[in-house]
Amino acid sequence: MNRLRDHVLPSVLALVGALLVSAVVIALAGHNPFVALTALAEGAFGSLDSLSEVAVKACPLLLTGLAVAVAFQAGVWNIGAEGQLLAGALAMSVVGSKLSLPAAIALPIGLLASATAGASWAALAAQLKLRRDVSEVISTIMLNFVALFALSYLVQGPLKEAGGRYPQTDSLLPQYLLPRLAPYRIHLGLVVALIGTVATHIFLYRSVAGYEIRATGLNQEAAKLAGINVRRRLLLAFLISGALAGLAGGIEVSAITRKLYERFSPGWGFTAIAVGLLGRLNPIGVVASAILFGALDAGSNAMQRAAGVSAVIVSIIQATVILFLVALPRVLRSRS
Amino acid sequence: MERAAEPAAALAVHGLHKHFGAVHALDDISLRFAKGEVHAILGENGAGKSTLMQILAGVYAADAGSIEVDGRPVTLGSPRDAAAHGIGMVHQHFTLVEALTVAENLALSLSHPGAWRLDLGAVAQKARALATEIGLDLPDPDLFVRDLPVGTRQRLEILKALARADRVLILDEPTAVLTPHEVAGLFEMLRRLQARGLTILFITHKLREVRELADRVSIMRRGALVGTYAVGALSEAEMAEHMVGHMDAPVSRPSAVKTGSVVLEIDRLSVADEGGQVGLSEASLVVHRGEILGIAGVDGNGQRELFEALVGLQRPVAGRVVVNGIERQTYSPDAALEEGIGHIPPDRHRQGLVLAMSVRENLLLHRRHLNRLSRYGLFQPAAVEAFANDLIARYAIHCSGPSALASELSGGNQQRVVIARELAGEPSVLVVVNPTRGLDLAASRAVLEALRDIAARGCAIVLVSTDLDEVLDSSDRVVVLYRGRVSEALARPFDVQQLGLLMGGAEGHA
Repeated sequence: MNRLRDHVLPSVLALVGALLVSAVVIALAGHNPFVALTALAEGAFGSLDSLSEVAVKACPLLLTGLAVAVAFQAGVWNIGAEGQLLAGALAMSVVGSKLSLPAAIALPIGLLASATAGASWAALAAQLKLRRDVSEVISTIMLNFVALFALSYLVQGPLKEAGGRYPQTDSLLPQYLLPRLAPYRIHLGLVVALIGTVATHIFLYRSVAGYEIRATGLNQEAAKLAGINVRRRLLLAFLISGALAGLAGGIEVSAITRKLYERFSPGWGFTAIAVGLLGRLNPIGVVASAILFGALDAGSNAMQRAAGVSAVIVSIIQATVILFLVALPRVLRSRS
Repeated sequence: MERAAEPAAALAVHGLHKHFGAVHALDDISLRFAKGEVHAILGENGAGKSTLMQILAGVYAADAGSIEVDGRPVTLGSPRDAAAHGIGMVHQHFTLVEALTVAENLALSLSHPGAWRLDLGAVAQKARALATEIGLDLPDPDLFVRDLPVGTRQRLEILKALARADRVLILDEPTAVLTPHEVAGLFEMLRRLQARGLTILFITHKLREVRELADRVSIMRRGALVGTYAVGALSEAEMAEHMVGHMDAPVSRPSAVKTGSVVLEIDRLSVADEGGQVGLSEASLVVHRGEILGIAGVDGNGQRELFEALVGLQRPVAGRVVVNGIERQTYSPDAALEEGIGHIPPDRHRQGLVLAMSVRENLLLHRRHLNRLSRYGLFQPAAVEAFANDLIARYAIHCSGPSALASELSGGNQQRVVIARELAGEPSVLVVVNPTRGLDLAASRAVLEALRDIAARGCAIVLVSTDLDEVLDSSDRVVVLYRGRVSEALARPFDVQQLGLLMGGAEGHA
C-alpha cells in the first residue's frame, strides 16, 4: 500500500539505520553493542515501572511533537516549542501556586492558562512574521532564549520560593496536581495528551480549517487563489502549535516536578522537532515516535548501569534518525 | 516577396535544428548576418527566436546544423566560446548582482591583472576606457546596481557583453523593460555601436522597432524561418501577416447568439505591475453571458495584471470592475469566488493545484466547495466523497481514485481537475489563462471543448492566451493587449492582418 511505503517505511528504515550506526559507535568505544542495546530495551520495557517511565518521558515529547507537526504542516517552521513549553510551565506554576481555586476547576484553569501562555509566546513570532515579514525560524529560536532567561530571572527573583533557599518556585497547591497512578509516576496528563492527539488529528484531516492549513503549507499561492485567508491560517497554526507546547509544560509541572526551576526542560522542545519529523508530521505517527524517544530516554540510564555505556549514546541515536530521515526520501525516490 | 541581397556574412548558420522533448523548437534554420548590420528577429511567443539566439550565444547546443563566423566553421559550446568568437548576448533577464556595485559587477566580466587581488580602481578605469571607446555613458562605479534605473542596468549589461565580445551583440527583447525615453536612448546607442562596425541582432515582436532600427528582418513562426527581408521592402502589415501566419481565419466556432446580457464589465482599469509601473492601463471591456471573449497579445503586455485584478489578487490603482451589475468593493480571491468569478490560472502546478494533495482534496480547493461540504467547520465525509466521485466521472478524470495524488496525474488530467472544480463552483464568469499550455493536442482539444461547452450553457469566458490560434478558434470576439492597453474588440470573421498589427503595437488600425 502506498501509505505504508511513503509514510512508515522511511521512518522504520531511519530507525534501523540509526541503531546500526550507534552499534558501530558502541563497538568503537570498546563495548558489546548487542549487550548495550539489549540493556537499553530492557531498561525501557522490562518492567511495569519502566513502562510507566517511558510514558512519563513520552508525554511532553508527544505534545511538543504535535506542536511541531501542526506548525510544519502549515509551512510554519516553529523551532520555538521549547520557549512555548517554558511559557506554559510558568503559567501553570504561577496560577497553581498563587490562585486558590475550588478543586473542580483548578486543574482545567491551570491547563488552560498553560495553553494560553504557550499560544501567546508563539503569537509574538506570528505577529513578527505576518506584520514585519520576520522569518519565524529566527524569531522562535530567539524567543526560546528569552523564555529561558526570563525563567531564570523569575525563579531567582520575583517567583523564588517563600523559604528562599533554592532558585525555584513555590510548590503547586494540591488541587493543581495531576493525579498519578501509585506507586508509578504515570499520570492523568497522559490522557490529556492522548485527547490532544485525537483532537489534532481530527482538526488536521477532518476540519475545513485544518485542510486550509495543510493546503497553505503545501502551496500557498494555490491556497490564496482558492479564497483561503492564508495569513489567518498561518496565525492559527502558530497559536495551536504554541498552545500544544504550552500544555506540555503545564502538564509536566503539574504531574511531575510540581514546581519550576531553571533546568526544568532537558530540551523537549528541540527533541520535539525530531519526534515530529520521525512521525511524518502525522499525529498518529507522532505518538509512535514520542513513545520511541521516551523509551530511548528511559532506557538509557539502565544501559549505562548494566552495560557501562554512556547514556549520551541515546543522543547519537536520536540525531542519526534525523539525518537518515532527511536523506532517505531522496534515496528512496531516486531508486523508484 | 523579394529577397534582400546577401552581403558578406559576419555570422551564418546553416540547417540548424533544435528539439526540446517533443517540441521542434528550431526547424532547419539557415541565416546569414552581415557585418555591421542591425538585424531584427521577429516572431510571436514560441516562434523560436530566443532559442536561435541562445544557440548563437553558446547557451544551448543545436541538435544539427553548423555555425560559421567570418566564413570559418565554429563550435559554440559555451558562452565563453561564443565570446572568444566575438559574440556577446544581453539576456532579457539581467544577469547583474544587485547587491554589488557597478565596479564589482564589471569585475565579474572584465579580465583584470593580478588574479589574486581584486583592484576595483583598475576595473573601473578599464571600464571607463572601454565605455569611452564605444561611446557609452558609464554610471558611477561605486553605485549599487540595485539603486540604478532599468535603462542604466541594461547599459551596464551591454558594456559587460562588449567587454568580452566585440563583433556581434545579441539583445533579447531589449525594450521590454524600458520606458519610451529609455528606448530612445538605447536605439541611439545601438546606432553608434553599429557605426563602429558592430553587428547587432535583436529579438522583438514590435513592428515599430523593426522599422525604426533594423536594416533587415528575419521573421520566424513556429520554429521555422518565414524569410529574411530588407526592412524598407516590407510594410508593417506585411510583417504582421508573416509573423502571425494565418491568411484565412478559422471558422470552427459557429458565431453564437450574442444577445446575452453583460455579466462582467471592466471600466478604465489600471493595475500596477511588480515594479510599481502600470502593467494594465485604463483597460475597458465587457463580456456577455454565454460569450467567449479572447484576449490576444504577446506575453508580458498586461496579461498577468489583468488576471490578478479579475480574480482579486491585486487591487487596481484605478478603475472599476462590475460583476452582474454590482461594482466590486473588495479585492480578494475569496470575494471574487463569491461573486461568481471562477478562474483557470496560467500555472497549474503553482496556482491551480496542491500537487502533494489527493485528487479529492484538490477538487475541494475552492471557497464555495469548502463552505458547502462542511458543517460546523467539519467536512461531511459522505458528501465530500459523492462530490469527488461525481466530478471524476463527469469530467472523465483518469486516476486510480479520489485518493490518488494530483502529482501522479498527467497534465491533461490535472487540468481537468482544475476545470471540474471551477465549474462545480457554478461561476457566471470564468477567467482562463493559457489553458492548454504544456498539454498535448488531444488534451488541448478536450480543454477547449469544455470551455465552449460551458459558454454554451451561459457562462461568460475571458480567454487570455498568448497562443493566437487558440484565441481565434475559440473566441466570439477578440481584443488585443499591448503594453497594458486593450484594443477595440474585433468580431468574427477576424481580420488577421489587423490582429497582427495590433499585437505588434502598430499605431492606428489597418
